[in-house]
Amino acid sequence: MSTTTTLRVKAPPGFRVDAGALLPAPLAELSLNEIERIVLPAGNERCAVGDVFEVSRSETAAARAAADAPHTPHTPHAPHIEHADATLVIDGAEPWLDRVGAHMTAGHLVVHGSTGDYSGLHMAGGVLRIDGDAGHFTACEMRGGRLSVAGNSGDFAAGALTGDMEGMTGGTLTIHGDAGARLADRMRRGLVLVGGDAGEFAASRLVAGTVCVAGELGPHYAYGMRRGTLLLAQRPVQLPPTFTEGGRGFDVFWALLVRSLAREITPFSQWRTMKLPARYAGDLAVDGRGEILIAG
Amino acid sequence: MSDPAPLQINGTTIDATFAEAFPMKATRLVITAHTPTWALNAANAMTGFATSVIGCGCEAGIERELAPGDTPDGRPGVAVLLFAVSSKELAKQIERRVGQCVLTCPTTAIYGGIDPATSRAPLSDVASLGRGLRFFGDGWQISKVLAGTRYWRVPVMDGEFVCEETTATVKAVGGGNLLLLARDIDAALAASEAAVAAMRKLPNVIMPFPGGVVRSGSKVGSKYKGATASSNDAFCPTLVGLSPRSELGAEVGCVLEIVIDGLTDADVGLAMTAGIVAATARGRAAGMLRISAGNYGGKLGPYHFHLHELAAGLDGSRA
Repeated sequence: MSTTTTLRVKAPPGFRVDAGALLPAPLAELSLNEIERIVLPAGNERCAVGDVFEVSRSETAAARAAADAPHTPHTPHAPHIEHADATLVIDGAEPWLDRVGAHMTAGHLVVHGSTGDYSGLHMAGGVLRIDGDAGHFTACEMRGGRLSVAGNSGDFAAGALTGDMEGMTGGTLTIHGDAGARLADRMRRGLVLVGGDAGEFAASRLVAGTVCVAGELGPHYAYGMRRGTLLLAQRPVQLPPTFTEGGRGFDVFWALLVRSLAREITPFSQWRTMKLPARYAGDLAVDGRGEILIAG
Repeated sequence: MSDPAPLQINGTTIDATFAEAFPMKATRLVITAHTPTWALNAANAMTGFATSVIGCGCEAGIERELAPGDTPDGRPGVAVLLFAVSSKELAKQIERRVGQCVLTCPTTAIYGGIDPATSRAPLSDVASLGRGLRFFGDGWQISKVLAGTRYWRVPVMDGEFVCEETTATVKAVGGGNLLLLARDIDAALAASEAAVAAMRKLPNVIMPFPGGVVRSGSKVGSKYKGATASSNDAFCPTLVGLSPRSELGAEVGCVLEIVIDGLTDADVGLAMTAGIVAATARGRAAGMLRISAGNYGGKLGPYHFHLHELAAGLDGSRA
């Protein structure tokens, strides 16, 4: 039996609301009255959950089916472990709702609608699914778990906060639509999949990790890329001048990579090991151990 | 306790005794390559000179060959098991053998083969696999984390040597054994080969000696200072009438031993049973006279495999 808590938006509050306190596992431990009394920061304002949302709960095993994701990652040492499979549904979300799933460590958080900025900020575990679009800084400095955005995402997805040295360091971010600028900036570990296009400076200053883009890239992609893999389904019009034809003989790694993507979104899940992609190594202006793989 | 009543299966006597086995640390490694031949080449090299912890540092053997669909990279592979007396020695042997025998072998890659989530053997710790070997890359090596597993990509002259960073180790069992007492060398070899072939069909076990068989069964201690083990005179056919410990009757002309290491005591027991079945299937008519086992009085090893218990479900008769 799993607990499903549903927060249905009554009416837009007219200001941005910080939803960072709305996490599946902690809320599963509270009564509906207690949830309604949670105070959410809202810029210079504050508001109670009950003022913005209609709160309800069901405790059926089937209720969670809607939140099922391909993989439910194991999150060691996750707090609230007794509610690790709890589900929170936010119904009718709109871009005024920031920090959805921030610091999430366990459970399923399903958002029907779109979210504002910082969705999945510092997320360390669990599954966050956004049915609509997400704002800027999605999965920023994410450490684990799975975050999927059915629509588009804004700038700095999987990147670092201003002044921080590392972006995403674990987990999987899937953006079915387009990603904004600075996708995976300073990312160090983890997997980012973009089903559409990516804006300028995609995978810039990438430290490591894997970034897959099915569509087109904006200018200056892979700028300052030290290590890591940028996997492209389409050959870009122009390759960065600081990348060089990157050799052959990486068949085994390619096989491992393709197999690890078998349960992800298309086109990445459709690739087979037989056809080796073109490989370009760089950015030679920095460490030069990164790679652009063009499988299209 | 041993059952004093002798048991006979197809004319072969099963002694009322037991094999005594010991705790060991073990891991499974999966070697893949471009073709099955090269995977086997690496596996054979890696498990060479690994018959006994007494002189080899570890006991190792090929567990089974793997189809492409059963390996992490979809290429043909071989699963090998390594056993050592301590985690430290196991880690040392893994690094040394993988570095010299797998890294060097064309087209190979290597992965940990113990799944901590499904292992029936109790988990012990984690040993380095590629963590140290990566330095062979001289700075060109690349780390890659895929689906939570860290791999190393080390440039080599045929492309990349890919290896998992670590391998899980388990608390395992070593030293299960059967002594096959036969009328002559031909009968003993045939029974041993049949028994080893049956055991090799089972997962989680290896028979580390050449061909799975050892002729120099040993006892603890020696008349010579400094020797920790010496010939098991109780089962040497040339010492019948000479050694006061001789356990051989007039009919026995040759004794061969099969040593079994397994990930769990249940695995060792199943392998021993399979060996008994195969050896007794040949029976007295084929010269397979007795099956016994080696032990140290039950005071050294915590695992006791009583032959009569292992043969309990078989079609035998008590004399």
